Amino acid sequence: MSAASIYMRRRLTNVLAMILSACATALGLLFLVWILLVTARNGLSAFHVSLFTKITAYADQGGLSNAIVGSLIMDLMALMICAPIGVLAGVYLAEYASRTRLGTTIRFLNDILLSAPSIVMGLFVYVIIVLPMSHLTNGGISFSGFAGSVALALIGLPVIVRTTDEMLHLVPGTLREAALSLGVPKWKLTVQILIRAASSGILTGVLLALARLAGETAPLLFTAFGNNFMTVHPLDEMASLPIAIYQYTNDPSPALHSIAWAGALLITIFVLTLSLITRFLFSRKKVTYE
Amino acid sequence: MNDLADAAAAPVAGVEGRATKIKVRDVNFYYNRFHAIKGISMDVPEKQVTAIIGPSGCGKSTLLRMFNRIYAIYPKLEATGEIVLDGENILDPGYSMNRLRSKVGMVFQKPVPFPMTIFENVAYGIRHHEKLSKADMAIRVEQALRSAALWDEVKDKLKQNALGLSGGQQQRLCIARAIALKPEVLLLDEPTSALDPIATSRIEQLVAELKSEYTIVIVTHNMQQAARCSDLTAFMYLGELIESDQTEKIFTKPGKKQTEDYITGRFG
Repeated sequence: MSAASIYMRRRLTNVLAMILSACATALGLLFLVWILLVTARNGLSAFHVSLFTKITAYADQGGLSNAIVGSLIMDLMALMICAPIGVLAGVYLAEYASRTRLGTTIRFLNDILLSAPSIVMGLFVYVIIVLPMSHLTNGGISFSGFAGSVALALIGLPVIVRTTDEMLHLVPGTLREAALSLGVPKWKLTVQILIRAASSGILTGVLLALARLAGETAPLLFTAFGNNFMTVHPLDEMASLPIAIYQYTNDPSPALHSIAWAGALLITIFVLTLSLITRFLFSRKKVTYE
Repeated sequence: MNDLADAAAAPVAGVEGRATKIKVRDVNFYYNRFHAIKGISMDVPEKQVTAIIGPSGCGKSTLLRMFNRIYAIYPKLEATGEIVLDGENILDPGYSMNRLRSKVGMVFQKPVPFPMTIFENVAYGIRHHEKLSKADMAIRVEQALRSAALWDEVKDKLKQNALGLSGGQQQRLCIARAIALKPEVLLLDEPTSALDPIATSRIEQLVAELKSEYTIVIVTHNMQQAARCSDLTAFMYLGELIESDQTEKIFTKPGKKQTEDYITGRFG
């Protein structure tokens, strides 16, 4: 075969491969844009002030204010539980158990937790928190916002552990050596230098975890349960956007369907904003160490 | 302990008229099972620049990293023999790591400023070892930055993030950070290999200035650099010290054929 024909064949293969991968990318993007468009169109038509002012008890005359407040409270409580534990566990894995067998095992278990079905988390929390707390009270099953946030925290925890661990691994080893060569002890190095060097990456992980748990429905079904009235008490049954959407889409009333669409749009905007913030934080991180 | 060390000092060449700061006696180093440093003995003269040269993987950085025991932060590494600094063996497990690290400063191949302001980068190490008032700290930081020939370039932006400096400035900041602790020995591990020629020549000038106050050991793969800025040169090959002598002698009439081959570029 002549050199020219080999060259032509390679060019042809190259063009073909480029066209195929471009098509695959376009297909993926098409669905994303489609989902966003459908959500935006249906959601915007139901967007109204009453969405933020009225509670779900008014049904098709109502809004989602209690679900929005409930979601915010539970998401933030979940974050308050899983962020400190996750960051500390990630630091332990990266700095103290990096190459040990224990560290490898914990990392493996964390990956299992990362891919565990979220409904399992809900059932687990139902058994370890909801049921025992019912025995303490009057015997009625005590669903609560607190139980919901623990279930959500279990979803967010492995995400934070994983990203913290990975971000600390990106900090160059020479930075550790440089600090230790000044006689600085290891705990000071970890707290004052390494966590600071990896801070935007760690924060990115925390926000990713928040984005992940904001859309979860299954862990809340048996834990927070839902509530048609406004409550901020963590031991009450608590409403949430995903549960409200889930219930409204199962309802025959078209008015409730469009409120559900509006709720879906709210979650989408929330997650989208979080993603944009994380992108911004992470792009800023890259200028620090190459 | 010293008598014993002196008795083993036969193969060691020093610079006449200079006190010996570090005595290396029959030192071995193992990475897990790999024997990286094989029975090296040498003297490092006080307030002089000693260069360690040799091809990649010959153990020159490993030897340097024994002088402040920075290798000890990794598991499965083992050192034997004696490295005597001011009459005390620093490889002795009883030798305080805190004391060693304040006496022996180190600058690494790539500049690694801490993720904080320029001022804090220099103050950070001092703060760990000494309690200084705010005014005293400002003076110490300025002194260190002046000694590292960086003060004029950064005096108006001490509160800016150190990661915004150029590579050469970052490396001089790392030198300032090391000498801020007022060490006696300064270890430089290929300090210019990540820098451009202009930044390199500034660092070399700085090394020449600093040797009036510090004992300097520099590892370099750049023979011209060793020839330009050191008083004593040690040539290592495959974990062994082939010879160490005055730089001028090593580069004009080396005692061993291997040294000559390396210096004339026959291998390396």
